Amino acid sequence: MKPWLHGRKPGDRRVRVERPHAEYFRYSEPGTLVAREAASAPRTSTGRALEKVRHALLGRRLSIHEDINERLSKVKALAIFSSDPISSSAYATEEILRVLVLAGASALFLSLPIAIAVALLLAVVSFSYRQIVYAYPSGGGDYAVARRNLPAIGSLVVAGALLLDYVMTVAVSTASAAEQVISAVPSLASAQLGIGVFAIILITLGNMRGLRESGNIFAIPTYLFVGSAMLMIAIGVWRIVVNGEGAPPPTPLPGQPAVSEMVGVLLLIRAFASGSVALTGTEAIANGVPAFKPPESHNAAKTLTAVAVILAILFVGITVVANAFGVVPIIDPVHKTVISQVAAIAYGQDSIGFYLFQTFTALILFLAANTSYNAFPRLAAILARDGYMPRQFSFRGDRLAFNSGIVVLSVVAIALFVGFGGETHALIPLYSVGVFVAFTIGQSGMIVHWLREKPDGWQKGLAINLLGCTLTGIVAVVVLIAKAPTSLLVALIIPALVLLMMFINRQYRASARHLAVRPDYVVPPPRREERVIVPIPGINRAVIHAINVGRSIAPDIRAVLISDEPAEAAALRERWERQLPDVPLVIVESPYRALVGPMLSYLYVLDETWPDDREAPITFVVIPEYVARSWWERLLYNQSANRLRRALIGRPHTVVVNVPYRREEEDEEDATPAAP
Amino acid sequence: MPESGQVVPFRKAVLGLNGGPTDDLVVHLGCQLAKLGNAELVAVHVIEVDWRHELSEEMTSADEAASAVLDRAEGIAERYKVKLTSDLLQARDVAAALVDEAIELDVEAIIIGLPYRTRFGGDFALGPTVPYVFQNAPCQVIVVREQLPSSGERRSPVEAVPSKGRFGFR
Repeated sequence: MKPWLHGRKPGDRRVRVERPHAEYFRYSEPGTLVAREAASAPRTSTGRALEKVRHALLGRRLSIHEDINERLSKVKALAIFSSDPISSSAYATEEILRVLVLAGASALFLSLPIAIAVALLLAVVSFSYRQIVYAYPSGGGDYAVARRNLPAIGSLVVAGALLLDYVMTVAVSTASAAEQVISAVPSLASAQLGIGVFAIILITLGNMRGLRESGNIFAIPTYLFVGSAMLMIAIGVWRIVVNGEGAPPPTPLPGQPAVSEMVGVLLLIRAFASGSVALTGTEAIANGVPAFKPPESHNAAKTLTAVAVILAILFVGITVVANAFGVVPIIDPVHKTVISQVAAIAYGQDSIGFYLFQTFTALILFLAANTSYNAFPRLAAILARDGYMPRQFSFRGDRLAFNSGIVVLSVVAIALFVGFGGETHALIPLYSVGVFVAFTIGQSGMIVHWLREKPDGWQKGLAINLLGCTLTGIVAVVVLIAKAPTSLLVALIIPALVLLMMFINRQYRASARHLAVRPDYVVPPPRREERVIVPIPGINRAVIHAINVGRSIAPDIRAVLISDEPAEAAALRERWERQLPDVPLVIVESPYRALVGPMLSYLYVLDETWPDDREAPITFVVIPEYVARSWWERLLYNQSANRLRRALIGRPHTVVVNVPYRREEEDEEDATPAAP
Repeated sequence: MPESGQVVPFRKAVLGLNGGPTDDLVVHLGCQLAKLGNAELVAVHVIEVDWRHELSEEMTSADEAASAVLDRAEGIAERYKVKLTSDLLQARDVAAALVDEAIELDVEAIIIGLPYRTRFGGDFALGPTVPYVFQNAPCQVIVVREQLPSSGERRSPVEAVPSKGRFGFR
C-alpha cells in the first residue's frame, strides 16, 4: 500500500512510490540495471563477519567509476618509474665485487672498468627503449612490441621472461632491502627472513587495497635516495681527489702477471654478467608511456634518459668510491653491504647521515618491489584477456586491483625469497637472464617493426635497435652461461611458462569453438523429450518439495530410492503409493551398500532402454537438499547429495537440479503437514 | 566546510526532476552548490496521474522510467560525493506535489529545470510548473534554464510544448 500524503490544499494529495530495487540496483536506462554496493554485500552472519575483516584489511569496495587514471609529470614519473632501475645501484657494485674478490684484492680495481662497460650497455639499452617509447606510445613495452611484430611464440617468451623478471624484482629488492636494514642494525640479522616476508605481505595488502603508485608518498623516497646517494658519492670523491684518501692500488710484484691475466677472462665475464643486473627495470618507462602528460612519448623519452643518466652516475660513482677505499662485501659475522660501507665512509659509521641513508636505501628497494605489483598483475591481466592465462587474472577485486595476480606474485616471491635464504647474491642469477631475454626479444620486435613500417628515419632506429638487440642477446647468453647452474633454471622456467600459456590458450580456443553459436542461427523451440529422476532417501518435506519442482519440469517423473534395507524399502513403497500415488517409485536395492554407483548405473540403463528411433531425452536429476543454516549443519546434511551431484556433473544429456528446502518454508507448506 | 566569507546557499534542497534534458543541469548545479556547505539533496520526480486513474494506482510502465530519472541523479551525486536521497511521487499536479514535498522535508531551496520552449507564434513559454513553484514555495527557488538552442536546432512549437501527460512536468 502506498502511503498517502496530504498537501496544503485538499486536492493536492500525493503518494510516495516505493522503489524496492533502489537499495540494490540503479537503472541506468529502462531495462538496464546497475548493481550498487549493497547488492554485493554478504547476507549471512558469517559472510558479514568476514566482510568486516576484509573491510578492515583491504578497505571499502571501490566502483569502477573511482578508478584513477592520473597523468604524471616528468618529475613525478621519474620518481615512480625509476625506483626499480635506480635501486639496482644498491647491489650492482656488490655483485661485481663478489666475483672479483675471488681473484684476490688486486683484482678489485677491475670493478671500475666493468662498471663503465655496464654503464655503456645501459646507454645502448636506454637508446633502444627510446625507440620503443616513440614507436609505441600506447605503452605495453616488450610484450606489446613482440605481440605486434613477432610470431606468438616470441611474445610468449617475452611474457614469460617479464613475469619472471617481476617476481625476481620483488624477491631481489626485498632481499636487498632486508640486507640494508641488517647492515645498519646488525642485531636484527636473525630476523632477516622475517623482515622480508613481513615487507612482502605488507606490500601485498597495500596493493590489494588499491595502493596507487602515483601518490607523492612514492616519489619522496626515490628523490631522498638519489639525493643522499649523490651526496655520498660527492663526499667520497672529494675525499679521494682533494684529501687524497683511499687505499692505494696494490703494485704487482716483479715477475707477477698483470691483474687481468691473473683474474682470467672467464671471471671478468662473470663479473660483467653480475654487474649487468644494474640494467634491470630500465624497461619500466616503455611499459607506462600513456601515464605521462602529453606529449607522452616525448616526456617518457626524456624521463628515460634522465633515469639512465642518474643510474649510471650512481652505479659508477658508488663503484669509484668502493674501489678507492678498498671496500669488499662482508658476509661474516653479519652481512654488511658494499653500499652501506660506502655510506659509512662518506657519512661516518653510526652517524645520523649513515642511518638516514640506509633507511632511504631500504625504502627505495621496497618501493622497487612495489613497482612489480603494478606491472605483474597488469601483464597477467593482458595475457588473460589474450587467452594465455586463466581468466580470473583479468578480474579486478573490490579495490580495483588485479587480486589474483597480486596474490600469485606474492606467493612466488616469498617462496623464492625464503628458498634462497633471503640472499640477494643467490637470487641475482635468476634475475638477469629473464631481463635480458625480454630486452633481446623486444629489440628484435623493433627491428621487424622498422623493416615492416619503414617510417621517416627508420634506418637510424633500425641501427639502434639492431645494436641493442645484438648486445643484449650476447649479454643474455653470457649471463646464462656465467651464472650457471642457477641461471639455467631460467632456461627451464621460461619455456615451462610458455608451454603453460600455450596449453591454456589451446584449451580456451577449443572451448570457445565448442561454445560458439553461428550469428545467423535462429534458436528453435526445444524439441527433445524430458524426463525427471528424483533420488530420494525417504518421504519428507524436502523430497515432496523436489517432487513438485520435478513435476513442473516434465510429466515423465519417477522417484528412485537406493536402499540396502529391503524391508525398509518395502515399507516406504507402501507409504509412497498411498501418499504420492501419481509418481512412480523405483527401488534399487544395493546389497553392496553403494549409493552413487547404482544411481549412475540406473541412469545408464534408462538411456540404453530409450528407443533408438527417438532422440535421446534430457534427464533432469532433481536432488532434494536440506538447507543448512550454519557451518556445522553443513557437515551434517547433504553429504550424499553432494557426492551424487559431483558424480553427475559432466554426464551427457543430464541436468542436475538442486532443490533446496529451507526451514522457513515449513509455514508455507500447508499441503504437507509435518509428521506428528 | 565552506571557505570563509562564502555564502552557503542551503543546507537541504529539493531537486525537481522531470526526466527531460534539464535534469542533468539541475543535478550538477545542485551538487556543486551542495558541496560548498556539505548540504543534503533530495531528488524528487513526480509521476502525474490523470483523473481516469486512482492516485495510488500502480503505474508500472512509468515506474521504471521514473526510477531511471532518480537513479541517474543518484549516480551523478555519487561522483560528486554529495548525499542525495530520492523520492518518487504520484500526484495530480506536479508543481503542487513538489512544493508540498519541499515543505514537508523542510528544505531551504528548490532547484528546478526549465526547458526552452515556445508557444505557437514563437513566444517563450514558461509552462505552469515554474510559476506555481515561484508563487507557492516558502523557500528559495533556483531555476536552471537550458541553453538556448541554436537556430538550426530550435524545436518546432509542437515538439517544444509537450502535451499534458501523466509523466513529468508540463
